[in-house]
Amino acid sequence: MPGGTITLKQLTKRFGDQTAVDGISLEVEGGEFFSLLGPSGCGKTTTLRMVAGFEEPTSGEIILDGSDVGHLPPNKRKVNTVFQSYALFPFLDVADNVAFGLRYQGCSKAEAKTRVGEALELVQLTSYEKRRPGQLSGGQQQRVALARALVLRPSVLLLDEPLGALDAKLRRSLQVELKALQEQVGITFLYVTHDQEEALTMSDRLAVMSNGRIAQLGTPRVVYEEPADAYVADFLGVSNLMDATVTRSGSPSQPCEVTIGDFKVAAGCGTVTASGPVKIAIRPERVSLFGFEETGANRVPGMVERNVFLGNATQVVVRLAAGVSLQALVQNDGGAYVFEAGSPVQVHLPADALRVLAPGDSSVAEIREETFGDVSPALA
Amino acid sequence: MATVAEAPAPAPVPVSRDGVASVTAPPSPRRRRSRQWRHPVGLEIFTWVYLAWSILPICLAVLFSFNHGKSQSAFQGFSFQWYISTSSKTPSVLHDAQLHAAVLQTLWLAFLVTIITVPLGVGFAIGIDRWRSRTSSNLNFLMIFSFVIPELLLGVALLFLFQQSFKFVALGTPAEVAALVVWNISWPAIIIRARLSTIGRSYEEAAADLGASRARAIWRVLRPLLMPAIFASAVLVFATCIDDFVLVDLLSSTANSQTMAVLIYSQAHGGNNGPALNAIATLMLAFSVIVAAIGYVAFRLMTKGERQSTTEALTNFAGL
Ligand SMILES: Nc1ncnc2c1ncn2[C@@H]1O[C@H](COP(=O)(O)OP(=O)(O)OP(=O)(O)O)[C@@H](O)[C@H]1O
Ligand SMILES: [Mg+2]
Repeated sequence: MPGGTITLKQLTKRFGDQTAVDGISLEVEGGEFFSLLGPSGCGKTTTLRMVAGFEEPTSGEIILDGSDVGHLPPNKRKVNTVFQSYALFPFLDVADNVAFGLRYQGCSKAEAKTRVGEALELVQLTSYEKRRPGQLSGGQQQRVALARALVLRPSVLLLDEPLGALDAKLRRSLQVELKALQEQVGITFLYVTHDQEEALTMSDRLAVMSNGRIAQLGTPRVVYEEPADAYVADFLGVSNLMDATVTRSGSPSQPCEVTIGDFKVAAGCGTVTASGPVKIAIRPERVSLFGFEETGANRVPGMVERNVFLGNATQVVVRLAAGVSLQALVQNDGGAYVFEAGSPVQVHLPADALRVLAPGDSSVAEIREETFGDVSPALA
Repeated sequence: MATVAEAPAPAPVPVSRDGVASVTAPPSPRRRRSRQWRHPVGLEIFTWVYLAWSILPICLAVLFSFNHGKSQSAFQGFSFQWYISTSSKTPSVLHDAQLHAAVLQTLWLAFLVTIITVPLGVGFAIGIDRWRSRTSSNLNFLMIFSFVIPELLLGVALLFLFQQSFKFVALGTPAEVAALVVWNISWPAIIIRARLSTIGRSYEEAAADLGASRARAIWRVLRPLLMPAIFASAVLVFATCIDDFVLVDLLSSTANSQTMAVLIYSQAHGGNNGPALNAIATLMLAFSVIVAAIGYVAFRLMTKGERQSTTEALTNFAGL
């Protein structure tokens, strides 16, 4: 499918004196799977609703395939939406639901019938044509909603937490299906979610939003491995955040030197040129533990505080000599487990995994409480 | 003794629901132990007394419509004579021209009012709810306000208006229809608005997203979704019109366009139709009950997709 590019320029939406979306600019290429990721209330839905045409932007432009559609009503835009609540028409059966929009495309009866058949085949619901939405499971309803939008061959499909109402297992299998479907039909997907795992696994690129702004935009790998600031690092999964001091600045190719308590370690600085007190981050799966005698580069002594058995791994909370606690994930590879609570260890923080963060948003601490409060109580 | 003018009161329904619920709830062991949740005996007695008080007179009035004699206080055997007799001594509903006409006039008036009021009310509700503006909130206030205006006041005001300025509205059926439409329009408006807010905007948005214009979205999506509520309000308006007395009496012109309610009122004071009056009141009651029952069953059928208990359905049906 040609086309399907979306360009947002300084898009802003205010409700009274509250700014829901605050000057968002981004470009989505045709056929791309692009996600908007962020915590509740950060303006994802509002952004999507402006693209769909349900909200009028306060200012800024929405350009679809080269033409400004910012002030067109929804029925005049070549985009379709899969709503979080699905909004299937309860009084129509599945086939009529899917056929609903074809009437406005001047489709003949016969053509409508074949296209509905194709769309239902695409979402594997061929034998459900005559059912009412109330007689379908949540996952099936979700697929009907998808078919109803895709049958119109839009150049852009907007999805607002389409898997939000489903249980975890079904979510995971539908994630895979949805991604495969998107590659098959080649339509641009603008996908809203607050689930970082979903955004990371499905998207070609994603924008992490915070308070109506974009905190970072990039591919999942870049955003995950090189978070621009503490907010992004935090939002994209459990991350150990520590206070440290930069004692020798580096460059993108040359690691800098930071001090955690009394211990000097090398860390990646990315584009950050800060010196003095900073926050550094490392993901639990990159932290490894060694016996106390096995000293070496980038190893800091600590003491095991607590072990939490997670099944495939063990979460170990270690208190460093400097006073900070951090989490390590030790894979369960069948060997005997040696890090009992109270035992002294060497904590290895690989330089390529340890990142110095740009001074983040002041809201970071708050967000962490909300999102990970139950997972990482020991993190300072 | 019951005066026959006792109208079928819709009020007992929710009360009887509570009463039944408190009687049939199985006494769980926990409930017996906790003082806080012990059986509310006082409330239950009150409920039953209230039910008896409000329903017994109606039952008596109905019973005497089947009296074989002319008395309205001593039962002299069972008979249908007050409904169908052709004897000149006992005027029956079927053969007394005046009673007969009253039944037809009542139904005709209720029908006219319903088919005018409901579409107007639906339009009103959609307008107020979906195009929010200052005007719409003022209109909303006016609508609620019309709820608290005394009926008598409205009737007198309209009588004055139709006699002095709007003389083209003739007293009798036209004036009565106009008045009843004004008086009843809040019903569909409120019921439809309640339904609109349960429905939410997502279906209309979905329709617009799929290419439907505003008007088409209302017609193809909102109309079928509102159908149960439209039907429920039609039933309600119809049932209210059947037993309206104040407006109809004030704005009537000649005796031959009397409704059942007006007839019952005028004959209960000094009339001598005896149990024929009970018969016509019984018919009125039957109409109301039948209309409400049809409405409820149809409402259940139309909202079959939405899972709801009987209590919820009743509440939704009544637009509460
Ligand atoms: N119609 C509205 N009127 C007033 N405020 C609104 C309206 N819609 C959204 N908001 C506000 O705008 C902000 C952003 O809302 P939005 O729905 O875009 O959040 P979101 O990122 O989609 O959150 P969630 O993940 O919870 O869906 C919120 O603070 C919300 O209260
Ligand atoms: Mg949202």
